Amino acid sequence: MPNSNNFGFMDRYDQRVGRLAGQAERYVYTDPESCLFKLRLMVETMARTLIEMQAPHLVDSDLSTMLRSLERSQMLSRAHADQMHAIRRDGNSAVHGETTPGPTAMRRLHDAHRLSGWYCRIVKRGAKVELHAFEPPPRQSLDAKKAAEWKKGEALESTIEKQRQQTREALLLFSETEDTNAIAKSLVDELKGWDEIAIEAGEPLIDAEFVALVMAMDIEKLLEHPRFGVPSKEAHARAEAQFNAVREDLESKEKSFRMQRQELARGED
Amino acid sequence: MSDSMLNTQIQLATTWFLAARTMAVADGNVPKVKEAAAGLYARAILELPERVCIEAKQPGNIGALKIEDCLLAVRNLPRELGEKIMTGVMMIAYSNKAMHPLEVRWASMLASAIGLSEEDFQRCCVGARVIATMLNPSDEEGA
Repeated sequence: MPNSNNFGFMDRYDQRVGRLAGQAERYVYTDPESCLFKLRLMVETMARTLIEMQAPHLVDSDLSTMLRSLERSQMLSRAHADQMHAIRRDGNSAVHGETTPGPTAMRRLHDAHRLSGWYCRIVKRGAKVELHAFEPPPRQSLDAKKAAEWKKGEALESTIEKQRQQTREALLLFSETEDTNAIAKSLVDELKGWDEIAIEAGEPLIDAEFVALVMAMDIEKLLEHPRFGVPSKEAHARAEAQFNAVREDLESKEKSFRMQRQELARGED
Repeated sequence: MSDSMLNTQIQLATTWFLAARTMAVADGNVPKVKEAAAGLYARAILELPERVCIEAKQPGNIGALKIEDCLLAVRNLPRELGEKIMTGVMMIAYSNKAMHPLEVRWASMLASAIGLSEEDFQRCCVGARVIATMLNPSDEEGA
């Protein structure tokens, strides 16, 4: 089996992951769905290895749960989490039989390459991994029609990436271009100043014991509580409906991306 | 959407993200668990569109503001929106299931600025507890 230019180096760190990446690379032009299937398996294998180090009790969980846990523990940076989620999502579509244009598979292959160097550094601590620039695997030249289709696919992927980026920017507490640590320091310094003024003025805090009590209450107990029970049940139902509306909106965007890709793959655009 | 409506929404989003950020960092950490919940809350509960949430985080908006500006802004908000901000801020405080003294101070400052009674504040805390549980069904992950 020929060695992969992009992923061959992984054999020294994790042979199974390296093999899956190499297989994905070989399928990227001829069978994009199989490429995505292999990449999804690659990410799942990576996540399982990382979760064994971080939270072994979750080792049998689904990929989404494992990735969420790795994000919470800060083992996954925002960029790596985004790349892994993109592979998970597009891999799932491929597994469910959705037709995929080649450029979609190529984007995810590139994501996998970005992840591979970081992953090897984690699994072999202290290893000096030299990650070369990603090179699209060689292929036979395309006729004019196929070349135009490939170009359209790339344009669609750029649009999807831009829209996903906007969605992400809207949801995050800090913009990706902001210096989070500097902002945090400045806010805490300001808050400490206000705290000192309040203490000097003898202002009481909101009843911290009460806050702690509400924090500690089981959600079931809270829902049954004679004082809060009814409003909290209403709040629950109302909030759930509102969050579901946003989730449906986000899902409908992803569905629209999938449909556009399928139309392109079927030559219907 | 008219320009004035857009500006009002951007102002609300800016106030929310500043209040949420202050609570998120008050214990000296910026854990990821607090991050996405703030945006989801803005979209779902405050009903702010995607582009408004992005605009609010531009340097010309949130970057120019201090905690004092946030307190002034919540003071001028309609009561219902003020309570929603208080609930959201307490939801963020709940995400790590403990309250640092500076978090309590920030909650107290906001509650005073909004003009919440103890009863109102308790209702916000209960709402926060309910929503935090909905957004972070992660007890099994923390096991």
